[in-house]
Amino acid sequence: MDQSAIEVRDLSVSYGATAVLVGVDLTVSVGAGVCLTGENGIGKSTLLRCVTSLQRPDAGVIEVFGGPPGSTPEFWRAVATTVEPPTWYAGLTTREHAELVCRAHGFSPREAGIDEALERFGLGSHADALPPSLSSGQKQRLTLALTLLRPSRLLILDEPEQRLDAEGRASVAAMLSAYRKDGGTVLMASHDEVFAAAAGTSVVGMADLVAP
Amino acid sequence: MSDVAAVRRWVRRTQSAHRERGETLTTVYVALLTVLIVGGMLYQQLTAIVWPAAPSMSEPAAYSLIMALTGGLHLALRRLGPLGLSRPAASWLLTAPVSRRRLLLPSLWLATVAGSAAGALGGFAILGHAAARPVPAATDTLLPAAGALLGGGLVLTALAAQAGRRWSAWSDPAAYLLVAAGLAGLLADSAGAAPQAPAGWPAAGVVGTVAVALALVVVPLFLLAVRDLARTPNDRILEASRTAGTFADSVYGVEPSFVAEMLERRYWARRRLRSRPLPARLPVLVAQDLVLARRRPGRLLWLAAAATLPSLLGNPPGWVLALAVLAGGLVAGGVTTANVRTDAGNPWMLRMLGLSSRTAVAHRLVVPGVLAALWCATALTVLTVLGGLPPGPWWALGLALGPVGGIAAVRAARTGFVDNSLLPLDTPMGSIATGPLIAAFAGLDALLLGVPAIVLLAPGDPLSWTGVAVQAAVAALGTRLYLSATTATGRVELKA
Repeated sequence: MDQSAIEVRDLSVSYGATAVLVGVDLTVSVGAGVCLTGENGIGKSTLLRCVTSLQRPDAGVIEVFGGPPGSTPEFWRAVATTVEPPTWYAGLTTREHAELVCRAHGFSPREAGIDEALERFGLGSHADALPPSLSSGQKQRLTLALTLLRPSRLLILDEPEQRLDAEGRASVAAMLSAYRKDGGTVLMASHDEVFAAAAGTSVVGMADLVAP
Repeated sequence: MSDVAAVRRWVRRTQSAHRERGETLTTVYVALLTVLIVGGMLYQQLTAIVWPAAPSMSEPAAYSLIMALTGGLHLALRRLGPLGLSRPAASWLLTAPVSRRRLLLPSLWLATVAGSAAGALGGFAILGHAAARPVPAATDTLLPAAGALLGGGLVLTALAAQAGRRWSAWSDPAAYLLVAAGLAGLLADSAGAAPQAPAGWPAAGVVGTVAVALALVVVPLFLLAVRDLARTPNDRILEASRTAGTFADSVYGVEPSFVAEMLERRYWARRRLRSRPLPARLPVLVAQDLVLARRRPGRLLWLAAAATLPSLLGNPPGWVLALAVLAGGLVAGGVTTANVRTDAGNPWMLRMLGLSSRTAVAHRLVVPGVLAALWCATALTVLTVLGGLPPGPWWALGLALGPVGGIAAVRAARTGFVDNSLLPLDTPMGSIATGPLIAAFAGLDALLLGVPAIVLLAPGDPLSWTGVAVQAAVAALGTRLYLSATTATGRVELKA
């Protein structure tokens, strides 16, 4: 059965007098991958924020796995996102952040494969570093590593390829592709169509979603 | 090379061209008025701190106070630089082809004047607390003068520490040691009930000799410091300028968290850590708090030492003791609440962990509660041992106060930024900003759960186990109410 993970109908958002999203419709099936593209300011991030309930739309209906997106623990156990800028705990190393996330979801570090994941994201030699001391690219890698380490059913990612080098992009794309093969759903925004194709997502232009 | 004074004059002239006329005058007027009003309100209390009605300190205690003040002043000067520039000057003038000595000289003067003034005030305070009245005129001038010279000397040691890491590597620990030794001396003195310093202490001859010796050392060294001023490395000056800027922001925006955040950031930036597995048997957030507490050994050590502070109060009324113990519990509980502050500011990690706000806060209360319990129990035990309390299981009352300190610390950390958009309260004395007031009382209000302890300590009667049980019951009920009123099982974010 083709069940939808995300259902957006007639969504409208404006900032003051500027209408960013007008009558947007979007459906993402369970197990599908959708990559939103479009120029800066067209509303990609705004749409992702609305889907993750981090922004309230002016009008329209949003459903995630058949219910309204919310701030409940159940919602956040199913959905992992990089739409917001991350925060880091004081005095906790990169590896300990990863362990904290895995343990909160009931996995031991060994079961979750923390060390392999950090190695895969090029953070193996930075396991003892404090996240604020990492470079912006490394922080982006850590954010993605945490997002992919924890169990989830839906990933909502805002320009995951940002600040990554070519090798990093390729490995993140491969991991997203594997995530989908395991039954996960991906909705992301990106400017890199090669990356989107490598991640196995279908590209949808924002201009096609926004009613004229 | 351009003349700094000319550049500064030009900057000032250009700024004043687009600044509203009289703006500077208004600022000066408001600042002066604030000082006068606050000074007028607190004049008597402030004077009593430096110059109490009757001196009561013993001679060894006076020496301990001198040590604590000396170490404290050095540390304070180190925190503020002592050499710093305003942020615009640090950005534009430090990199410009101007004389570095002239650029930094005003800052050195300011530090010297402030350091000397603080030293002189310290001298007065020692006279006020220890010297038998009437204080001879010669001592009355000489000790503050020696204090001022010592303050100037401390500016020089702080300056040397700012310029070279080799110097700071031993001068900073030495200052901490001085403060610790001074406090220990004060404690030992209050426990031993030593006699008050004899009349004629300090001898004018000794103080005069010390002052002359200090002058002979400090003045030439000061001249050398002026000569070598340009050698202070840029990064040190930039760091001090950022510190001073953050302090200014904090005062101007009435937002103390800016300073707390800066100190926290600097502390962790210096640390080199090794990842350790989180204790597996504990709930995950409790395990994380434990890791954080273990990584702040200095703070734990200070807290342990501070558990003796309530006994230093002398023989105050019971309710003052109770308030001191409660406030100490709040501070002790605050060792790990940086994690709560992170979650309250941005719940990204809480969403990543997928925990409800009720679970998160309940777990986050554990380590602060235990630390507060241990602190209060230690403080009350020290008081009992030193004979400051009637018989009874006071240590158990301390343990029962743990949840109170824990809730107060967590509540204070959850407040977040000061809300300066709230309407001010108009009173006959002038208007009061409500935002900072509410922020200042967040957390303190939770100490109301310690009212049974105040009632038990105030009359000076022996303590019964019933009293302990009442306090424990109030604390348990308070924790339950706090959790059900401010958190939810269906919400991740700490703020509703």
